[in-house]
Amino acid sequence: MAAINWRTINIDALDPESAYNFDLSTLTPTIQPISTPDVQTLSGQIRQLLRGGNAEGALRGALENAPYGADEQGKVMPQALHTTLVTECLNQIRATEMSPLLQRIYQSDGGSELCDTLMKYLYKGMGQGAASHTSGNVHGGGGGRNLTPQATGGFTQAGGRSFGGGEGGMSVFLSWHEKLVEMVGPGSIVRVMSDRRTV
Amino acid sequence: MAAPEVHHLFHAPIADHSFSADRSTLAVARDNNVELYHRAGNAFKLQDELRGHDKTITGVDIAPRSGRIVTCSQDRNAYVWEPSQNGEWKPTLVLLRINRAATGVRWCPNETKFAVGSGARIIAVCYFEEENDWWVSKHIKKPLRSTVTSIAWHPNSVLLAAGSTDGHARVFSSFVKGIDERPEPSVWGERLPFNTVCGEYLNPTAGWVHDVAFSPSGDALAFCAHDSSVTIVYPSGPEQPPQAVISIATQLLPFASMLWSSETELVAAGYDCGVYRLSGDANGWQLTGTLEEKKERPGMTEQREESALNMFRSMDLKGRSGGAALDDTKLKTVHQNSINTVRAFQENGGQVRKISTGGVDGRVVVWNV
Amino acid sequence: MSQSLRPYLSCVRSTLTAALSLSNFASQAAERHNVPEIEAQSSPELLLNPLTVSRNQEERVLVEPSVNSVRVSIRIKQADEIEHILVHKFTRFLTQRAEAFFVLRRKAVEGYDISFLITNFHTEEMLKHKLVDFIIQFMEEVDKEISEMKLFLNARARFVAESFLTPFD
Repeated sequence: MAAINWRTINIDALDPESAYNFDLSTLTPTIQPISTPDVQTLSGQIRQLLRGGNAEGALRGALENAPYGADEQGKVMPQALHTTLVTECLNQIRATEMSPLLQRIYQSDGGSELCDTLMKYLYKGMGQGAASHTSGNVHGGGGGRNLTPQATGGFTQAGGRSFGGGEGGMSVFLSWHEKLVEMVGPGSIVRVMSDRRTV
Repeated sequence: MAAPEVHHLFHAPIADHSFSADRSTLAVARDNNVELYHRAGNAFKLQDELRGHDKTITGVDIAPRSGRIVTCSQDRNAYVWEPSQNGEWKPTLVLLRINRAATGVRWCPNETKFAVGSGARIIAVCYFEEENDWWVSKHIKKPLRSTVTSIAWHPNSVLLAAGSTDGHARVFSSFVKGIDERPEPSVWGERLPFNTVCGEYLNPTAGWVHDVAFSPSGDALAFCAHDSSVTIVYPSGPEQPPQAVISIATQLLPFASMLWSSETELVAAGYDCGVYRLSGDANGWQLTGTLEEKKERPGMTEQREESALNMFRSMDLKGRSGGAALDDTKLKTVHQNSINTVRAFQENGGQVRKISTGGVDGRVVVWNV
Repeated sequence: MSQSLRPYLSCVRSTLTAALSLSNFASQAAERHNVPEIEAQSSPELLLNPLTVSRNQEERVLVEPSVNSVRVSIRIKQADEIEHILVHKFTRFLTQRAEAFFVLRRKAVEGYDISFLITNFHTEEMLKHKLVDFIIQFMEEVDKEISEMKLFLNARARFVAESFLTPFD
């Protein structure tokens, strides 16, 4: 009993009526949960397209079927799988093809929404690097003081595996981001921030 | 198109502004006071100040016929100001009974009531009680789940639309017995006791709703949200799904305020600092242009040549493609910061001909639509 | 100038421009208060999705937007121990003088070296695009500053070592 520090209790959290307990899931009523096997079948199909050289079709397919509402325990898995898939598609497309391809997607039916989804994945991809970095640091650093990240091999490998090599991976995202913003403007970024359907 | 009429009043944000019916008096919310400006020739001169609130004022509205001014503020209070015989303004406190900031206030079209949105997840519908000689309020609570950001009245003075930071735009009935006459049945419903929810709309991304507006006929509702979109709802009848919900995502920064200039046209403005025009009907809407004039400033070309080096340098260093450091403190738009409110300035045969906008930069601008 | 710096900075620029759409918003948790929601974190619906922009493993920017405030955190490049120490000293110097900078946060968000807190009062008082310019300029200056300090430090170390060893010549 003496272990409880009463001053640190957040009393707002105990009141179901308080603003603190706003249920964010009520903002996303239309989302259907998607299971891991479904995503795996889908990614198989999309990889097929990729191997066939149809990068545009693959990217379009991946964006159209973004798994928003993964079930709670599988929330991480399908979304991570899908992010890798989108990243693969992006890596397959050459820099000179980016703009015309985006133009085609944007002008097609529902293209603006696809572009917003792509924007979400770009930020997700860039965010992933940060996440793997901190976890790698905790794992290999052995105390925050010893901060020589490039020397500890373990963490660079972990980062490298997920998106094909340190800086290279990021510059792909950055150049896609630049091309995309040129076309869809800041509106798309605002939507990534305000959209509760995260990827 | 004639150039917009710009009145740079001061260097402080204008949370809300309102013109009197003859458009000669302009009430502007500035920090904790409301300033009244009077038109003198082409400019507006400061004439009076309404002091009484002790926190930032969030809403001011002049009733066109009675001339009463209602103000509300983050100090949780609202006042109704009436001119007394000696020309001074006399405030009457309104019993809002809210425990968080008031976020906005609007008179209903027949001026018997006004509604105050608040951060307490409440809309206070206020009306005058003769026997006690004060303004009292009734609360609309359900199903609001977050701060009410904006309020708009239906032309029949009974229906009320509200936007909230919980991402929903809702239509309520604010029917008060003894004050209102029973409204004609409309697409929103027939029997409308107080706090009936006649419609609840969420756009796909569920961004905060910044503003709501009824079309002039009252048969359509538009709202703009923080995801840079404008959604227009055409209801088909009570208890039925709407016949059309059209949502358009723009490439711009979000809109903060908007207005129907006619049954098929909207004017919206916000964080992009410019005023934009949208048009369409139940079959579809689109962004059709801006009210800003596209003018080439003189001397622009010479500067550009001179600064080619600077341009590449700024592209390289700052990641910005625009011109060099010479004239980049001034935005190309008329407003130099976000626009907070858009209001109708002049109407003609059901068509809004002129609008006024008030912005964070302390400017009130009158535009030709 | 490194090749990937330009897209990195332009990405940060567009992200910040989008995030700085702030409004004056009174707290719905505490009466008569007006606090930066990103710090108070009292209502989840008032916070937006945080975005990360990274240039590589080492350099990234975290943008956490909310209804009336944005928190921008920067992780500065630290290639070795010396740079790590220099960055630490440099950011400590700045954060201790935070009130002179208006938008600087006194403590950096965990995992980052320096944080800025921009509220609606800042965007009302100052030009929005100039605030963005300031952050961008800070980002490029700080890299330059750190590598300059490192060069200076190395030169000094060499000089000290040389004069220390002269008697044994």
